[in-house]
Amino acid sequence: MKSIKKLIIAISVATGALATSCQKLNIPPTNIFTSDVIFNSQAGITSFLATIYQDLPIEDFKYGPSGNDGGPAGFLHGGNDWTEFYNEAGVIGEEVGPYSGFNIGTGFGFWPYGDIRNVNIMIAELPKHAAGLTQAGVNALLGEAHFLRAYYYFGLAKRYGGVPIITVAQNPGAPLATLRVHRDKEQAVWDFIGAELDLGYQMMPATSDAGRANKYVAAALKSRAMLYAACVAKYGSVNFVDGQARASGLAGIPASAATAYFQSAYDAAKLLDGVYKLYTANADKVQNYVDLFLKPSPENIFIKQYSMANNTAHSWDDTMSPRYFTANALTRSYPTLDLVSLWGTLPITNPDGTPTRFDNRAQLMQGLEPRLLATIYFPGATLRGLTFDMQRGIYPSFSGTAAAEVAKQPNARSYILAGDTKTLYQGLQVIGFTGPWTGGDELTRTGFYVRKYVDYTRQQATVNLNTSVQPWIDLRYAEVLLNRAEAAVELGNTADALTDINLIRDRAGAALYGSIDLTKVRNERRMELAFENQYYWDLKRWRTADVVLDRAHFKGLMPYYVFNENKYIFLAEPELFNREYTFQKQFYYEPIPGGEIGKNPNLLPNNPGY
Amino acid sequence: MKKLISRILVGATLLASSACTKIDNYPGPNASFQGNIISSTGGNLLTSGGSTQIWMQQIGWTAPQTIPSKFDGTFEDTRLFSGGYRVLPTGGAFWPIYDTITVNLGKGTRHDFTVTPYLVIKNFKATLSGTTLTLTYDIDAPIVAGLPTIKDTQPYVNTTRLVGTGASIRDFSDVNSVTINKNFIDMSTAEKSRTLTVPNLIPGRTFFVRVGVRLNDSFNSSNFSEIVQVDIPK
Repeated sequence: MKSIKKLIIAISVATGALATSCQKLNIPPTNIFTSDVIFNSQAGITSFLATIYQDLPIEDFKYGPSGNDGGPAGFLHGGNDWTEFYNEAGVIGEEVGPYSGFNIGTGFGFWPYGDIRNVNIMIAELPKHAAGLTQAGVNALLGEAHFLRAYYYFGLAKRYGGVPIITVAQNPGAPLATLRVHRDKEQAVWDFIGAELDLGYQMMPATSDAGRANKYVAAALKSRAMLYAACVAKYGSVNFVDGQARASGLAGIPASAATAYFQSAYDAAKLLDGVYKLYTANADKVQNYVDLFLKPSPENIFIKQYSMANNTAHSWDDTMSPRYFTANALTRSYPTLDLVSLWGTLPITNPDGTPTRFDNRAQLMQGLEPRLLATIYFPGATLRGLTFDMQRGIYPSFSGTAAAEVAKQPNARSYILAGDTKTLYQGLQVIGFTGPWTGGDELTRTGFYVRKYVDYTRQQATVNLNTSVQPWIDLRYAEVLLNRAEAAVELGNTADALTDINLIRDRAGAALYGSIDLTKVRNERRMELAFENQYYWDLKRWRTADVVLDRAHFKGLMPYYVFNENKYIFLAEPELFNREYTFQKQFYYEPIPGGEIGKNPNLLPNNPGY
Repeated sequence: MKKLISRILVGATLLASSACTKIDNYPGPNASFQGNIISSTGGNLLTSGGSTQIWMQQIGWTAPQTIPSKFDGTFEDTRLFSGGYRVLPTGGAFWPIYDTITVNLGKGTRHDFTVTPYLVIKNFKATLSGTTLTLTYDIDAPIVAGLPTIKDTQPYVNTTRLVGTGASIRDFSDVNSVTINKNFIDMSTAEKSRTLTVPNLIPGRTFFVRVGVRLNDSFNSSNFSEIVQVDIPK
């Protein structure tokens, strides 16, 4: 009897426990953030936005344009990204680098529809949370979401032309036929980007935290995007690869649309008038231009930040300068003489063709434009208390012209070269501590090093990999002025363009122009935005890449010591690996990634030539 | 103990052998496709590396593949999966063809394509004087209207019979390129008769030489002459 009682008690306790515990199980999963948790508070939204901003296709220090030649590809944001020398500059003649040729034309299969889905979810959810966020708060965030979506589609459009415009998060349970969306026309995608950025401009506030968008960021991006679309229309209708995708408007825009896009770019750029200004804090124009990339500045419109604590630091300082100036590692990014020559021919040759004699190498820098000296480290420049010691070799004596000497076969030249810095000639070091040499690829092949963005204030011992935190300036006012000037010239408004360009040239320490044309505007852009991952896309939208990069070889500036004269000379010679770069016309568009076509055959036809 | 081991071994052998019984029942790539790319002006289209190719897409599949043409205008691939393919010649200096044709590939399938070259190089002559080679030739166009702009013309010099774009000695070839940048229709008769010189060839060597004329079409492609052998005396 007792045992039965015990049994009854046990059963009822157990039943009671089970019954109540069953209710407890019926709660939302605590390890998954539901939309209420995320979208009801600014904190939740900020953390949701962090991923979207992190994945934004900003071509920053870490961006790897292609996986070819062993480079890592894509938009990296890890804690150990030290391949900054695998960059666009290294295949288009701004620099020579580790890519063995023009090996980035087919891209890396950029396809950010996962991120676009996140933005689409955000746009769908936000209006439901006006109670927690206020209507004004919802509108500002919606504007930001439209900006972000435009940024992703810009990344797609400049690579592929027409892509599917997805504005609502797809339901994975929907029939396959609905999920397999066709490509939209290229023009439709650019129009969509323009409209999204207009919404961003209308709905966002005028200011924002660093690293986040505001209305002027949207306007600045619009000037960049619409200029791209305008050039695709104007120049892409002349220079193109024929094919089905072009015939159906998936790759290419009618030339008649160009003017409206140029106007749109110009109008967008004009919105920033008086809101931002060029950085002019330091009266020393070289130092001012150097600091522009390292200090907070009224010129910065949109930046991307890095932090060692968050494990996102980059390695620019350690990978743009050779080991001589750093604590570790090496560089493989060497600016070309071709780039330097945009500023004019260097005074290295006398009128009679003989090389000019210099008492020391630093003498060459006298009288050069401050912006050039702030962009590129010349032989004889200093960093962290050390001198850039570029010397290719020694001539016991030198006679004749520079051209005749360079034309000779190497074994017919009377110079002394060396494979290491220990080799001496008459007690003098033959090659410099910082190159140029051909023994490896860790010292300059061109006689130059990158200066832009290099933080000169750091102690050498601290300059290690993954320790650089200077922000990447994705949009700065100088670019907006250049966008505006280019659109203005294309529209025939040269007066406006001249004012814009002279603002930039004044800050750069260059002589002002009295008149302006398209070539001057384009060259100004190349000089001002060198190494900022712009020129690659400029070449593509101008449709000049196949002409500029037609079996192209680039040059370096080789300093030599002339022993019997105790002087230095500089010879313009092919960069030491003498690599060849050819841009094939189909590269104006990248191929739609094969894996995506496998999942969605409706993405066919692929772009012409693939 | 011994019994146990032998049983285990027997068991393992049985498992191992039965594991292999599933065979791949798909036919291997045992079909082939070969043929000529014939020029409408007679003979095969003379091509080069990185130039003309046969584009082909198996019906029911999305990824296209290509067969590069050989230098004599023939092509051949003997490791293809049998089935229906859409094919067309592309990439070379001939008037583009947009309509694919469908071929059913099996063993030893042959097909010849006929294309109309942009330009034809006629009367190609190579004259050696010392170590300087002079190349003379005439340019003619089967169809003039709508022809892409002519960019440049250059010699191709190599030490093997494989000579053309991407297979030539730069110092003798690309360096001796001559810019034209004109439309064929605007060129005078004199301009259509070209002369190129290749100086400083190395005595005692044998070179294979041809000339090409490059056009500003979708592929920056070139029409080529035939290949001649040149022996430089010691």
